[in-house]
Amino acid sequence: MKEKLEAIRLAAEAAANEALDEKQIEEIRVKYLGKKGELTSLLKQMGGLSPEERPKMGQLVNDAKAKVESLIAERRARLKEKATELKLKAETIDITLPEKEVNRGGLHPLSIVTNDLIDIFQSMGFDVLDGPEVETDYYNFECLNVPADHPARDMQDTFYLADKILLRTQTSAAQIRTMENRKPPIRIICPGRVFRADEVDATHSPVFHQLEGLVVDKGVTMCDLMGVLEQFAHEIYGKDVKVRFRPSFFPFTEPSVEVDVSCTECGGEGCRVCKGEGWIEILGAGMVHPNVLRSCGIDPDVYSGFAFGIGIDRITTTRYKISDIRLLFENDKRFLEQF
Amino acid sequence: MKVSLNHLKRYVDINVGVEELIEKMPLAGFEIESVTRQGEGIKRVVAAKILKITPHENSDHLQICQMDVGENAPVQIVTGAQNISEGDYVPAALDDSFLPGGVHIVSGKLRGVDSHGMLCSGEELGLTEADYEGAEVHGILILKGEHKPGTDIKEVLGLDDTIIDFSITSNRPDAGSFLGIAKEISVVLNTQFKAPETEYKTVGGDINDYISVSVQNDDLCPRYMGRMVKNLRINPSPDWMQKAIIAAGMRPINNIVDITNFVMLETGQPMHAFNYNDLKDKKIIVRNAREGEKIVTLDGNEFNLTEDMLVIADGQNPSCLAGIMGGKESEIEDDTTDLFLEAAKFRRDNVRHTAHALGIHTESCARFEKGTDINNVEYAMNRALSLIYELDAGDIIDGAADIHGKLDENRIIKTTTKKILELIGVDVPSDTMVSILNKLGLKTTLDGDNLTVSVPSIRSDVEGRADLAEEIMRIYGYNHIKGRPMRGEVTRGKKLAEREKSDKIKSLLCAAGLREIATYSFINPAAADILNLSADDERRNMIKIINPLGDEYSALRTQLIWSMLSVISTNVSRKCESARFFEISKRFFAELPLKAQPQEIPTMSIGIYGEDEDFFTLKGIIEAVMKLCGAHTRYERSNEPYLHPGRQAVVFANNTPAAVFGEVHPAVAEKFGIDTRVYVAEIKLDVLYAINKRKLIYKPLPKYPAVERDFSLLTDIDMPVGELQNAISSGAGRLLEKIKLFDIYTGSQIPEGKKSIAFSVWLRSSEGTLTEEQTEAACTRIIDKLQKLGAELRK
Repeated sequence: MKEKLEAIRLAAEAAANEALDEKQIEEIRVKYLGKKGELTSLLKQMGGLSPEERPKMGQLVNDAKAKVESLIAERRARLKEKATELKLKAETIDITLPEKEVNRGGLHPLSIVTNDLIDIFQSMGFDVLDGPEVETDYYNFECLNVPADHPARDMQDTFYLADKILLRTQTSAAQIRTMENRKPPIRIICPGRVFRADEVDATHSPVFHQLEGLVVDKGVTMCDLMGVLEQFAHEIYGKDVKVRFRPSFFPFTEPSVEVDVSCTECGGEGCRVCKGEGWIEILGAGMVHPNVLRSCGIDPDVYSGFAFGIGIDRITTTRYKISDIRLLFENDKRFLEQF
Repeated sequence: MKVSLNHLKRYVDINVGVEELIEKMPLAGFEIESVTRQGEGIKRVVAAKILKITPHENSDHLQICQMDVGENAPVQIVTGAQNISEGDYVPAALDDSFLPGGVHIVSGKLRGVDSHGMLCSGEELGLTEADYEGAEVHGILILKGEHKPGTDIKEVLGLDDTIIDFSITSNRPDAGSFLGIAKEISVVLNTQFKAPETEYKTVGGDINDYISVSVQNDDLCPRYMGRMVKNLRINPSPDWMQKAIIAAGMRPINNIVDITNFVMLETGQPMHAFNYNDLKDKKIIVRNAREGEKIVTLDGNEFNLTEDMLVIADGQNPSCLAGIMGGKESEIEDDTTDLFLEAAKFRRDNVRHTAHALGIHTESCARFEKGTDINNVEYAMNRALSLIYELDAGDIIDGAADIHGKLDENRIIKTTTKKILELIGVDVPSDTMVSILNKLGLKTTLDGDNLTVSVPSIRSDVEGRADLAEEIMRIYGYNHIKGRPMRGEVTRGKKLAEREKSDKIKSLLCAAGLREIATYSFINPAAADILNLSADDERRNMIKIINPLGDEYSALRTQLIWSMLSVISTNVSRKCESARFFEISKRFFAELPLKAQPQEIPTMSIGIYGEDEDFFTLKGIIEAVMKLCGAHTRYERSNEPYLHPGRQAVVFANNTPAAVFGEVHPAVAEKFGIDTRVYVAEIKLDVLYAINKRKLIYKPLPKYPAVERDFSLLTDIDMPVGELQNAISSGAGRLLEKIKLFDIYTGSQIPEGKKSIAFSVWLRSSEGTLTEEQTEAACTRIIDKLQKLGAELRK
């Protein structure tokens, strides 16, 4: 009987090893391990054995059964693995076929830049305000220390809508409205749309965008202005840029400065971008003129402040190297999709 | 302002090179517009003598010249010019020489004959008649006098000057003169400033015996000064003066006219010279023009004058437009013998208005418009007389007509060094402050901490301590300012609620595949007609720009649709097959004529087109925006004239009209050259901003299963699906979870005038599994409501 058992086991193992698919392996399992399988029936034949031999033989048969079972399981796993492998291989696709397009939207580049600027100043504690686009002469000029017929009004050609009502030429008007409504300490920015009667060309647009900044507090100096603008410049133009002040004139600030950053293209060596000067003018700024503070009811002997005006369109065109400002307002989808 | 550097050296020691000067001046507040180096680009061009001219055998116009160019042997140069003779001195560009503009001259053959260079015309050397007489003559430039052959031509022509164009900010008219900029240079370079001569001798007499001067409008003419000069000796002005005038962009005429122009350039005070003998009744009257009066100005143009214009009249007629231009009649000519010389201050706004009204722009009015100094009038007059004396151009009569009210005195500013330091935040030593201010001509004394500064009237821009701080810093150097991080309470900046909301809406739209656009706020008023707006539509009342760039940019927009359609039109014409756009901007409404600031209504437009887009895509986008803003929506048919009459709707957000959208009317689309279906929306953001969104609290996920029932209906063909949905909703009540339209059909097997509609309805209770009875009861209510609408249940 021992020999018979061994022969069955070997036959079962050989069959299992040769099984080619799930169906064959199942047949083998039934043939040997099924209710009427060869190994199972061997157990049934043990009745003819002596009581001493019976447990021994039982043990042997069970061992053989276990061996065959595990062999079948192994073979089954291998076959499954192989089948999966084959299936996956058959399912291989050409990954260079075109994608199913997701209709991706996006903000206008001017909005992207505006949001970046807002983030920078918001993190420095500036509140973000809005002002009307149609302004009065009073807020746009007079309060900003630009009285009627002052030559400073020559610097900007204004769109008038009626006597003393105009499209704002700068966001500085928001300074006044803020100072009238808030008490120092004041820390605000006002991004917005402004208008000047410039003929349209590659670098001029009658509609453009500015971001006005204003800080009023006790003990504010030009060093604070420099500090804020340095942080702004480092975020926008890179950590290594240098910032410098050049004296200038704006009626609503005194001292007034033009602010330059070292050329981001050549690092200050001088190149085509900076016209060989090593510096690029980025904005105008200054200490709020005492007359302006006074006309807003703030005592210039107690408080001082600074203001700055950033050209959003200019930053946008330089950041993305857009050679013609008209592209910003043309809204060609192929242009917009690049942002 | 253009200035000759050579001329500036008459007033100030310039101990640095041009490069350093133009680097330093902008840091003191004077930007450099341009620098012109005379003779720039000219290399190896020399004065040469023509020894011999022979004709060229193979040409009827070329000539062969043997030239003495200062070398051992003559050099042969072939030329095509005909205006030369043997013995002439001319400019010769030698082999390997350069002319302005990078022209490179090398030896070569001209029709077989060797030519070792080129003889030059004035034009080829970049000269004009003003630089050298004969420079614009056709042919070779014939040099005056004899020159050592081989001498550098730049030396011969006097091309050794540098012209610097300084940009003068509008608060510093005083610096827009030779003296003004020279003073600034002397402070920047810390060198000596030398004031020019103002002394002269007179020949006796009394001006009052020659002329009577009166000012009738002292408001427009706060100071008028006149002097008499007899026995004029009119000649060309000296070379140095001509060069200074040419460098500044003006033309020399004769010594008298040149002196008036030169003194204006030098001092900033315009002058005017009248031919005394042309002044009728020997009178000068400063008065307003009379209605109907005319003047023919020096340039030969005739102008009709109005009463608001100030003129200098003789006893009868206007003889000069005050501060702008003289009259032809009293012009100084070569045979003029006697001169009445004027220096005055005119009010700048009046000069500006008159100049603008007549369309004249002169050097004189430019200076008056920027503002002149009342005390500078006398200085300029003395300087002009001293030049007349120095150049022996005439005999100066004693006495001056000088009519003025109170003259400006020096402004005294009292402040402290501490107050100034508080503004700039840099420790400038007190004595440095004092020294800078004094050098700038602002007489300053220091007593302890206290500064007393006496500001002359020519620096009227210096009004207080902020101005002093600027004067100190621009000379001390802004490079001393070191940045200090933002100080103050640590707060996060806040955005306005409107901006927070619009940011969220923008994010939503971007995620939905829309691209933001930016268009001008002003549009063509014809937009109202293009969009077929009715005659009484309030959107026709557009605010007009008084001075627009053109009709197409002349009205503030009352809708954003026109701009959106223009953008879509551009994209369609560029073969862009599909797009989804949105814009957030403002619409402007006001009662016209405009008396106050208009209402600025924040508004959003959406425009979509392309194969996959339709009315319901747009409806989906709008619904998403409305949900984001917390609005419950209701849709009704609308009648916008620019939309398809059967495919448009108004959206109510919490019962307030908040948006109109639909397919663009084909006739309107056609006007934009759009040949495809386009869907647009205009959404009133002010309505959405005003919605207070309820605080969000989470709803527990359902514990009990839902029941799904299908309803297949037959209705009239024009029954709105929305009404059926409302019926289902009200029938199901609180048990309603979801309604889904899954089929809509007309055609065979459906009676004429009817349609078949099928909904799936999900019912669910939060309190327990719905029983069969509960479900049936709800379905009965639903069917009941549907039947009331006339819908018939299909079995």
